[in-house]
Parts: sequence; structure tokens; C-alpha cells
Amino acid sequence: MLKIYGSVMSRASRNIWAAEECAAPYELVSLDFRKGEHKQPAYLAINPAGKMPSIVDGDVVMAESLAINAFIAQKYGKGKLWPADEKGQAKCLQWTLWAAAELEPVAYGRLREVLFKKEDERDHKLLAELAERGKPIVGVLDAVLQTTPFICGSQFTLADLNVACVMEYMVRSNFDISPWPKTAAWYKACAGRLGNMKVQEMRAQAMKVA
Amino acid sequence: MITLYGKAASRTSRNLWALEELGIAYKHVPFDYLKGDTKMAEYLTINPAGKVPALVDDDVVMTESLGMNLYIAHNYGIGTLWPEGKAARAKCIQWTLWAATELEPPAVGRLIEFNFKKEHERDQKNIDTLAEHTKWPLNTLDAALQRSTYLAGAMFTIADLNVAAVCEYLTRTKFDLTPWPAANRWVSECLARPANQKVNAMKMAA
Repeated sequence: MLKIYGSVMSRASRNIWAAEECAAPYELVSLDFRKGEHKQPAYLAINPAGKMPSIVDGDVVMAESLAINAFIAQKYGKGKLWPADEKGQAKCLQWTLWAAAELEPVAYGRLREVLFKKEDERDHKLLAELAERGKPIVGVLDAVLQTTPFICGSQFTLADLNVACVMEYMVRSNFDISPWPKTAAWYKACAGRLGNMKVQEMRAQAMKVA
Repeated sequence: MITLYGKAASRTSRNLWALEELGIAYKHVPFDYLKGDTKMAEYLTINPAGKVPALVDDDVVMTESLGMNLYIAHNYGIGTLWPEGKAARAKCIQWTLWAATELEPPAVGRLIEFNFKKEHERDQKNIDTLAEHTKWPLNTLDAALQRSTYLAGAMFTIADLNVAAVCEYLTRTKFDLTPWPAANRWVSECLARPANQKVNAMKMAA
């Protein structure tokens, strides 16, 4: 069975979302990074770099949240998250790398400023620079979404999931996506999916406990 | 047949390397972003973002160099670049994303400082910071290569190709890899492969 190591507050949330979408049976092994649980020998045996998330599934041991989602989609989501046709599969790979290489540096840069710093400590110049860099990147996505509701066509796939979970950082860091109406509508459709609602519920629960 | 767009002296080299490893027939259209080829209407219908590389393979049109290599391996390299077995395949996807998220940002930062700037324009503070940010991923890579010959096991796969292609930015900017002996040996071995040598010759010829 699929075991996901990490906290729902971390990038492991992306993998929980994917597992929920596929209705794949999984176990979440919660690691609290504030307690340094990801630096303990038991976890380092799974991921020597001590980063979250990781998964173990049979003899598969792997890291990198967006790559893990490609694995989950291929194993548990054939014909759904992982499209049946070669063309859709190519798009899923392309947009997974695009999310990592193009969107995440900007989105994570913004999230870090907003989430880990108090308002008066934030580097507003950096936030504005990242917002400027973000605009043409969102524009690339928006151009694709002019003709289809989801990236690969009419169906929600891994491409949407991996891009949406990074776009969430833009939204959480108060980047206004409304100037790109197609992207805004797409994001709303992705974020409103049951798989993601479940993740949000788990987050709210974790915040209550903390 | 795959048509690959982008000149060899760009990230297109990664895809040329993969195609050469497989020895499959392909068509190369060496569009040069410096000459504005990639902003022409002909290319923008393939990649509206106007970046290279891109590939066309029947009805598949795709961008993102490392993603394209997964596609090439997956569709044309089963048993070679795309290994048999779920565990090894998982490693290929993992290391591809790792190359993009962990290694490429500091590596491309170095390349910009060293290859696109004159000596007196270089930002030494940035170069030092990038060197620090390179050490962590190299520790991770070295640890993995102490455990196995190649990243997904005993065989050279797309995991090695994608990571080594990014490591090339480090060797090209004279980053000293000797503190990471396993990674150092592996980088030299990967980059010395005949398919990559052929790509290097294409870069020089252009």
C-alpha cells in the first residue's frame, strides 16, 4: 500500500490530493518538521536528504512531490489523472516540469515572504518583482486555457493537479489571478474538487491540533 | 518521427543527447533564439511561449526539455533509457524533477554569471551564494551514487542523462566537483558517453 511521509502542511499535501483523486488506498505517516522528525534516522533511511514528502509503495521508494504525483497517477489513475492517450501523457509530463521549473520558483518565493514573515518584515520589493515575473508565466497557462477547460482537454488530469497545487502558492500569497479569467475559473474548478477539499479539511484539523 | 526544435547550444542539447543515445531517426530544426527564430509565427504555433526546445511527434506537441526527455525515454527507450520495473521508473521521474527543482536553479545561475557576463561584470557575492546552494544537492547526489553505480540502479537511464545534463553547467563553469568523488566520477563518465560527445560536436559546429 502507498505510504505518504510528510505533513499535510507541507508539499505532501500535493500527494494526498493525488491519492484522493485516484481513490488509492494510502496511509499518511505524519512527520512534524517543527519537531525535526524528518531528520531522524528512521526517515533518513527513506530519504537521506531529510526532505518531505517521500513515498514508499512496495519496492518503490521515492521523493520529489510533483514526481511522486506522476507515479501515483500512472499506477492508480490510468484513464483519469493519467490520460489513456500518448498526447495527454506528454502534456502531463510537460506541465509537471513547467510547474517545477517556471511557476514554483516565483510562487514559492512569494509564499515564503507571506507565510513565514510578519507583515512588517516582508520584502515588498521582492514580492513586487516576483509578481511581475509571475505575470507572463500565468499568461502561458491562460493561453492554453482559452480553448479547453482543463490543460489536456475536457478532463482534469495530473497536469492540472500539479500546476494547481503550485498556483495555490500564488493565490495564498495574494497574487490576483482575476486579470486571467480563464485561469481564475480553472483554478476554482481545480481547488473545488473533492480531493483537494479533503486536503483542506486535513489542514484545518492539523491547525486545530497545533 | 520526432522533429526537435532548437539549436544544439541551448537546452535542446539535452534532447539531442537522449535521441542520440537511442539511435532513432529524428529531424533537427536548429532554431536560434538569439536570431529571433523562436519568435516567428511558424514557431509560435508550436510553442506560444517562444522558448526552445520543443518537439513534435505526430499529434504530440510538447515543451520543457526534461519533460520531453521523459517522453522520449518512455516512448522510444523501454529497457534502455526507460528501465524495466516500477522502482527504477519511479527513480527516473524523481531525479528528473530533482534536477529541475534542486540543481538547475543554482547551476543555471552560475552559467549566467560565467557564460553570459564579462569577467568585470560578474557578481562575486552571487557566485559565492550559488556555490553554497550547490553543495546541498551535490551531497544528495553523491550519497545516492555511493549506493549505486547509476541513479536508477546498475544501468545508465534517463535519470542519469537528465541530471548529468544539468551538472554540465557546473563543469562548464569550472565548479570543483572533487569534494564529491562519487558524483565527480559519475559526471565524467556520463558526459564522456559517445552520444553526448556527438552533441558537443554539434554545439561547436553551429
